Amino acid sequence: MEELIRRENILLDMEVNDWKEAIKAAGSLLVETGNITKVYIDEMINSVLEMGPYIVLTKGFAMAHAAPSPEVINTATSIITLKKPVSFGSPNDPVSIVMCLSCVDKEGHMAYLQRVARVLMQKGIIEKMKNCKTIDEMYLLLNDRKEEEI
Amino acid sequence: MSVPKIQCVCGFGCGSSLMLRMAIDDVLKKNGLEAETFTGDVGTCLSNPCDVIFISRDLAERISDRAEVPIIIVDNFMDSSEIETHVTSYFNSLNS
Repeated sequence: MEELIRRENILLDMEVNDWKEAIKAAGSLLVETGNITKVYIDEMINSVLEMGPYIVLTKGFAMAHAAPSPEVINTATSIITLKKPVSFGSPNDPVSIVMCLSCVDKEGHMAYLQRVARVLMQKGIIEKMKNCKTIDEMYLLLNDRKEEEI
Repeated sequence: MSVPKIQCVCGFGCGSSLMLRMAIDDVLKKNGLEAETFTGDVGTCLSNPCDVIFISRDLAERISDRAEVPIIIVDNFMDSSEIETHVTSYFNSLNS
């Protein structure tokens, strides 16, 4: 099966000062891998400014995303963990894991989005992500693969 | 009674609302309950016909004064036990 998240879209122990920098850091990975333009990063930040921190879906975890837009080249996800957690002003603060999600459109990539959601809905997944020491560990966890399958 | 239509709402109708919808579908299945679920965005959700809206707390403030159907606030979109509580109490309210 196609991988859910590429190794190049994972970074651990990032140092950022606030939630905006966290979204920028996670979003930059998607820019570097050619999945979004820089403008989409601003759209993700603006959506929090306009609509509040509802993207902090559960304790310690934010899923930054904006509306499907021409700034999205491919539907993809990136993920970073933070050395020092940041506050989004959410009841689920402090946040130490930030995922960025880019959707080309609302319907076309439903199967991919459902796979992402399935992984995130596993019990204890947030703790497991926090405990990842290497990019490979995170890659295997999120893609639900075993080491021998690399 | 016909099957209730549950609308799951986030900022854009893709992403977090989809997660909420999948979590609600899981709860419905587990409890043998029947409902139609779909996703919507906060800007247009009030014009989509439905019987109840599930939404996050900060977004709820934007629609609560205009909504004509019950609004159920979900704090943790990934907490299946919180979602189960909301879904079962909604169904109980239908029977009372």
